[in-house]
Amino acid sequence: MSAITAAGRLDGRRLATRSAGRVLLWGWLLLTMVPLVFMLATSLKPSGIAKELPPRWLFHPTLEHYRSVLTGGSGTSVGFDRLLFNSFAVTLGATLLTVGLAVPAAYALSMRTFGARKALSSWILSTYMFPPIVAVIPVFVYAGKLGLVDRYPVLIVPYAAFNLPIAVWILRSSILQIPYEIQESAMVDGASRWQVLRRIILPLLVPAIATVAILSAILSWNEFLFALSLTRSAAKTSPVGIQEFTGMYGTDWGKLTAASSVIVAPILVMTVILRRRIVSGLTFGAVK
Amino acid sequence: MTRGMTMTSTQRGGVAVRDLEPRAAATAAARRAPGRARRRRVSGGATPWVLMSPALAVLLLMTVAPAAYLIWASLRSGTLLNPASSFVGLHNYREVLTDPNVLHSLLITAAFVVVAVSVELVLGLLIAVPLASQSRSNNLAATLMLLPFAVTPAVSAMIFKELLNPNYGWVDHYMGVLGLPSQVEWLSNPGTAWVALVGLDVWQWTPFVALILMAGLQSLPHEPLEAAAIDGASTWQSFRHVTLPMLAPFLAIAVTLRTIQAVKTFDAFKIRTGGGPGDSTEIINLGVYRIALQSFRIGAASALAMVLLILLSLLVPVLLRAVGRNANPEEI
Repeated sequence: MSAITAAGRLDGRRLATRSAGRVLLWGWLLLTMVPLVFMLATSLKPSGIAKELPPRWLFHPTLEHYRSVLTGGSGTSVGFDRLLFNSFAVTLGATLLTVGLAVPAAYALSMRTFGARKALSSWILSTYMFPPIVAVIPVFVYAGKLGLVDRYPVLIVPYAAFNLPIAVWILRSSILQIPYEIQESAMVDGASRWQVLRRIILPLLVPAIATVAILSAILSWNEFLFALSLTRSAAKTSPVGIQEFTGMYGTDWGKLTAASSVIVAPILVMTVILRRRIVSGLTFGAVK
Repeated sequence: MTRGMTMTSTQRGGVAVRDLEPRAAATAAARRAPGRARRRRVSGGATPWVLMSPALAVLLLMTVAPAAYLIWASLRSGTLLNPASSFVGLHNYREVLTDPNVLHSLLITAAFVVVAVSVELVLGLLIAVPLASQSRSNNLAATLMLLPFAVTPAVSAMIFKELLNPNYGWVDHYMGVLGLPSQVEWLSNPGTAWVALVGLDVWQWTPFVALILMAGLQSLPHEPLEAAAIDGASTWQSFRHVTLPMLAPFLAIAVTLRTIQAVKTFDAFKIRTGGGPGDSTEIINLGVYRIALQSFRIGAASALAMVLLILLSLLVPVLLRAVGRNANPEEI
């Protein structure tokens, strides 16, 4: 009898803990949405009321800022439409290069007959530690000497290199999940390594390749340090360019927030599509 | 013979390998002896190297080659504008390591990493617990949770900067509404600038920690918790003595990855404070950037970068252990 009351009391306390947890969770979510709400709301506000305090919540939404930044209207030294195009070109190049390098590498690292696979896998993982600020010095020096400053490849190659550890690890663990017997029996039937890769591994690897491509795209799209250091105008990307919305006379909120929303929108969509696989991917597959 | 080998490897697959380590090592050793010749016949020997080489070339070009350059450049005098340089031995290292600004940079970088990662870990754990129970509203919560860390860091730095503007920023305004100080010049004082910088990092990265821990909590077996409940353990006791120890690998993953990412932080500091006011927020990355790309003192910057690289490489074993082994227990 007393055991039951004890259990009841415990359940009551457990319920209180649980509701406290839910309050905390949703409170956190509410608080963290503020910057995003600010960004979206301000981007739709007419210029006159953008900086009004208290912030106006009821207003006629306008697309003037979006129209202005997307048609390259004033605000940045290089038109924002051009910045977006550069971001897109660099992201696409880096993503294709990452996938193109990572798939064969991951396949090699999954071969049981490849003696160096453990050492190489560990080494590739350990390059994740390599800070970009360290690499930027020689790249800056040599890009200057080779006339590569302000051109796409000087961003594409480093981005691919920085994406490779994650890409190779995600792909390799996906290949390792494919039963080895399938590969083996194909090879017994006379298939070459190349045929095994093309006919057996690749079709089964499509979801992992999609994850890798989206993660590479997000990381390349967001990169700032190399873009800041190695571009001037022709290849400048949007995260670097939007800083110019802050000028001598303060920041143009309408244009800044509209441009920010345009930059963030594609990644938000990709992130929501990937959902849990994004966390799994960014942890090198250590969290399923 | 080949068949027997494969069987062993397959059996090793799938099992939680940590307990099997001695045996695994023995098998590996046994395999090594007759390995070479046979391996070449089976796989065509060079094939994996051919497949690896493009990726390896790019990785070497962006890691080993820069490190080699830094070692060379750090031993020489000269700047980018005055390339005629000569060998100066360890002069550059002596210079940067006795520079109080550099030591200050290293210290505040370490402090930033420790404080930001600790706050994210505690908050992330507090959020992960309610998030881990499966329900439709939690599905929505997990999706919303993802949003901050999808935002381009350069964009969130700009947005936070405007939100904290003392004249028309929302933060000061709403703090005033709540009866708190409403004229805070966030980025003009070292103390509040740090609060603002850590705050942004926490906003951006706590979700990542929370989602790792949520996945961890969802993967834990129920039996130990049920047993604890039957034995009369309180919620706190079973969390502290059952859940938390089982969650340790996931905590290690979160701490390791967040530490690495926090050390690499550059965007937020460059955009929001540029290291100021004074040099109060000049983390090591900003220091290297200033010396190399703004003062063009390549020798000194290279020495500093080498110091950073050596300090960071001490963390590599932690990364391999916490992340590598969990990602692929039978391979590392």
